[in-house]
Amino acid sequence: MPKILVVDDEEHIRLLYSEELKEAGYEVITAESGFKLLETIESEKPDLVILDIKMVDYNGLDLLQDIRNQFYDLPVILSTAYDTFKEDMKSIAADFYVVKSFDLTELKNKIVMALETRLP
Amino acid sequence: MAFYEENPQSVTKADVIVGIPTFNEAGNIAQTTEQVDRGLSEYFPGMECVIINCDNHSTDGTREAFFAAAGKVPRIYLSSPPEERGKGVNLRNFFTKSKQLSPKALITVEADVRNIAAHWIRDLGMPIIKGAGYVCPLYVRHKYEATLTSSFLYPLLRCLYGRRVRQPNVGDFGFSPKMLDIFLEAPFVNEHIGNYGIDIWMTNIALASRVPIVQAFMGAPKVHRLKDPDEHLRTLFREVLSTIFELMKVYKSFWEQVKWSKPTALSGTDLYEVETPLPVEIDAAKLHRQFLAGFDRYYGLWEKVYGPTIVPKLQEIRSMGLQHFAFPTQTWATIMFDSAAAYQRMDQAARNEMLDALLPLHLGKVLSFVKKTERMSLQQAEDYVETECAIFEENKPYIVKVWD
Repeated sequence: MPKILVVDDEEHIRLLYSEELKEAGYEVITAESGFKLLETIESEKPDLVILDIKMVDYNGLDLLQDIRNQFYDLPVILSTAYDTFKEDMKSIAADFYVVKSFDLTELKNKIVMALETRLP
Repeated sequence: MAFYEENPQSVTKADVIVGIPTFNEAGNIAQTTEQVDRGLSEYFPGMECVIINCDNHSTDGTREAFFAAAGKVPRIYLSSPPEERGKGVNLRNFFTKSKQLSPKALITVEADVRNIAAHWIRDLGMPIIKGAGYVCPLYVRHKYEATLTSSFLYPLLRCLYGRRVRQPNVGDFGFSPKMLDIFLEAPFVNEHIGNYGIDIWMTNIALASRVPIVQAFMGAPKVHRLKDPDEHLRTLFREVLSTIFELMKVYKSFWEQVKWSKPTALSGTDLYEVETPLPVEIDAAKLHRQFLAGFDRYYGLWEKVYGPTIVPKLQEIRSMGLQHFAFPTQTWATIMFDSAAAYQRMDQAARNEMLDALLPLHLGKVLSFVKKTERMSLQQAEDYVETECAIFEENKPYIVKVWD
């Protein structure tokens, strides 16, 4: 069962993603901030990370850079309320992005694609 | 092996090596060498460095200008025999010589870049010291600059090899000693790699080798000495595409397994204020004329290669006229995939003719991109390119199907 790490400072988003993704057959763990995120990834070894871009104390795009530098092939999906983040060059280090919504169809599709993208 | 070598400081080992391939660059190489020298001195202190000018037996004093340039980093001059020409020949000599020096990082830069700066050497070399296998720069580009890259190099390589490298054919790279060994052992699949094909050959080999790739954001455009972009387009187009098509045969077992693409790591994103890209003039009417001229010359060949689905579509595109011109990306992706598959079954003369016949279609695709993005910002045009890449990826099963 693929393990997904959801990083978001909004509790209702963590709950929504957890419930729906568990129902879809994934193991889900959550983090409410970017604090010690790299250590968490190192110890929990998720198969995919869903990362909020704007958190109170952390910039998701900076965290994305750190993740990509340390865990080169780990799929990361950016989760955002606005698509203005694309103006920041750092966003191209993400596998995909989704705009936050209560309908998780797009997110689930991107998760499938990202998990299929393990290179031979 | 190089035909001629001059190593006045008897360098036998170097941690960081920068190669500058040249042919008759006496007017440019001094400035480039001085910036490289500054970059190595400033950003790689305490490391043994060397600059290698790998030349094509220039007759304009390139060698003398290289040694006369200011700076303290040791230098080596290599030359191919007088009858051998091309950047690929130079870089092969560079690879062979570099192997003898046991480097930790290697960099190549072009000699004719007007605005090369010392920090470019850091940007291309430092990710290698930190563990990357291959570094591709990300220069600031106008939406209509490097149309070969936006039209097919980026989408095709990305869908084939599954890694998003936006400027794969840019001419300046950093690479690791592991990548050097891979280059030395990799097939130089045809004579085109000796010339324009070498840059895409390097990136393609890196993509197929699964080394960690970093895209280094340079914050500035790359300004070449004034060139007529149309002067070598046919040769460039033929050599770059044939290199990719040849390597598709070599790496088939790799690319047929790739489903979607993944990003690379990035560096340099916090270092610079982004400069404005240089303006690029596009003559839409000329592109349209070149596209239409393809029908007179190559229609029969298109019918043979692209078959009953695509050819009527081309007629439909032709009938639109300049004002409403649009070349669907799905059609373009199918044409590229059919061309790659057909290439494998042809002799060399037929391959060259097919690649020449593909050029007007590429120009039509460029025109379509120009029409679609003319009111878009740089960012919006980039988003559009990403959408086109997604169409290539969605249609990837087609190339797997038609290949055999």
